[in-house]
Amino acid sequence: MGKHLFLVWKNLLRNKRRTVLTVFSSAISVFLIGALISVYALMYAQDPPEESAMRLVTRHKVSLTQALPYYYGSRIATVDGVENMVPMNWFGGTYIDQRPENFFARFAVDPDQVFDIYSEYTVAPEQLEAFQRDRQGMAIGKTIAERVGLELGQRITIKGDIYSFDPELTVRAIFEGPDDLQAFFHFKYLEEGLKESVGTEYASQVGVYAIRLRSVEDAPRVAKAIDDMFRNSPEPTKTETEAAFQLGFINQMGNIKLFLLSIAAAIVFTMLMVSANTVAMSVRERTREIGVLKTLGFRRRSVMGLVLGEAVLIALLGGAVGVTITVAVTTAMQDMAVQWFTGFTLPPWGIGMCFAMAVVVGLGSSTVPALIASRTKIVDALRHTG
Amino acid sequence: MIDAAVSLRSIHKEYRRADFLVVALDDITIDIPIGEFFCLMGPSGSGKSTLLHLVAGIDRPTKGQIRVLGDDIGELNESELAGWRSENIGYVFQTFNLIPVLTAWENVELPLLLTSLSKKDRLRRARTALEIVGLADRLEHLPKQLSGGQEQRVAIARALVTDPSIILADEPTGELDAGSADDVLAILSTLNKQHGKTILMVTHDPRAQQYARTSRYLDKGRMTEMPHAVPA
Ligand SMILES: Nc1ncnc2c1ncn2[C@@H]1O[C@H](COP(=O)(O)OP(=O)(O)OP(=O)(O)O)[C@@H](O)[C@H]1O
Ligand SMILES: [Mg+2]
Repeated sequence: MGKHLFLVWKNLLRNKRRTVLTVFSSAISVFLIGALISVYALMYAQDPPEESAMRLVTRHKVSLTQALPYYYGSRIATVDGVENMVPMNWFGGTYIDQRPENFFARFAVDPDQVFDIYSEYTVAPEQLEAFQRDRQGMAIGKTIAERVGLELGQRITIKGDIYSFDPELTVRAIFEGPDDLQAFFHFKYLEEGLKESVGTEYASQVGVYAIRLRSVEDAPRVAKAIDDMFRNSPEPTKTETEAAFQLGFINQMGNIKLFLLSIAAAIVFTMLMVSANTVAMSVRERTREIGVLKTLGFRRRSVMGLVLGEAVLIALLGGAVGVTITVAVTTAMQDMAVQWFTGFTLPPWGIGMCFAMAVVVGLGSSTVPALIASRTKIVDALRHTG
Repeated sequence: MIDAAVSLRSIHKEYRRADFLVVALDDITIDIPIGEFFCLMGPSGSGKSTLLHLVAGIDRPTKGQIRVLGDDIGELNESELAGWRSENIGYVFQTFNLIPVLTAWENVELPLLLTSLSKKDRLRRARTALEIVGLADRLEHLPKQLSGGQEQRVAIARALVTDPSIILADEPTGELDAGSADDVLAILSTLNKQHGKTILMVTHDPRAQQYARTSRYLDKGRMTEMPHAVPA
């Protein structure tokens, strides 16, 4: 087969424009598939930090937008297997302006607990202390701080949107760790600020409780115990592992897996049709040459090999170009969106899938033409004109 | 002991379709001795190409037996025939049929891809074949950069590069002007005289006849001794 490779190569050069177009269209499909895989990998296939498995999240049973009473925290802390918990409130708001460069996630939390629960974050002890002492202190992830350009001691104002309160904060701690894409400030400070505008009752409501377990195995039991505890109260809870919670967050957007899969299937199908047509055309044009090769003594399987080899070579070229585009695009997007997520990239298994898809499409679209070409009777092939 | 290069016994070839029946060859029996330069003439549609196809094993007779160099090629299956052909038969087409994307050298190397020769040996033998047809200075030319006569000479080089005993040529001068036709015929004659190739050439060009040692006529699928009317 090796020595036939140069024949395959020459055939590709026969109609350079068509080859370039075919490689390009294959590359585009590979890129689309690669982008889908990257999205899938971002949403579902990231290995969370080990600590994540040690955490549960408790939220309102009905929806994330409904709050829980503050006193739930101390009740949760009494459940056997719970090591610690921290109330957390998502504080939207605007820093400077609406531009995406200035966006970062901000939570009002209990400063004494938050780093015990998010133990994958490392923070210098003196900074932690400074953050805990200052009611208007803020702790922020290093990735975000660098991105937004915040330094220790800097004073900033966040303009509230969900809440009619504009916290004035001082950066007291910068922590590091996987997914350090958030900032924390004092729950008490938020509560105080809200009392004036919404009254005491609403001021001390909690979005979610993040819970640290004593041991991973306790997760199902503890989750059930917590939910049972509040089952008959006006604010029932739903407690799940952090991983499940995040997936649920994603699944709010609908059945994304099915959506991704159906787009991928549509792309593969379209690609198969388009390239089957191209291959059939280019083989038909060469019917006479195939007759000549067979007259020279080329066997059916050599002719098959030539046609299939050409398709596979195009597929590999398209795969290489497509994967390169995917990596370039995802890297650029990840770079722009570092405040929102990390790990948006085509994983190695995704690269493999892209090439496999390209080769499957290549083989799938050329098998029938290859069979027809290899079986054409020599005399008929030689009489072929056009 | 094989004395005939090609021997046909009672060959019939019919093309049968639902609505018509063409008898292309009707009871053909001939023996072509080894070392012969055999010229088969006849008007268009008389079955000349059909006969060459049968001898080359690229088509099968409806009836009759074909022995080539002693082998009954009717007993070979398609794949065996392919291997047999690449070793024993060189085929020259009227329309040259070079692969347009390959250079003269690569075109001539093509049949050697089916052998176990190294790349180096393949190129050396292809060059020698091109030297024999007088095109050693056109190795890297593409077919479209060659004249018709040169193209046909490349095609002859391709037919002889595997050193087959038999060369079949189907109207090799049909597309050529008189000068180029003479070059091609002279080369075939050299191959016959100096290299001992058995040549079976089909033509309806009477000028080709003078290069051949034996000429026979086909008319409406039958062998005839005398030409009735040879088209100019
Ligand atoms: N595949 C085919 N199907 C049907 N009829 C065919 C086929 N091939 C050849 N024929 C018929 O067989 C007869 C002989 O054809 P052949 O090609 O052998 O003639 P030829 O002597 O080579 O003619 P020419 O000088 O024009 O090349 C013709 O009547 C032709 O129409
Ligand atoms: Mg003919």
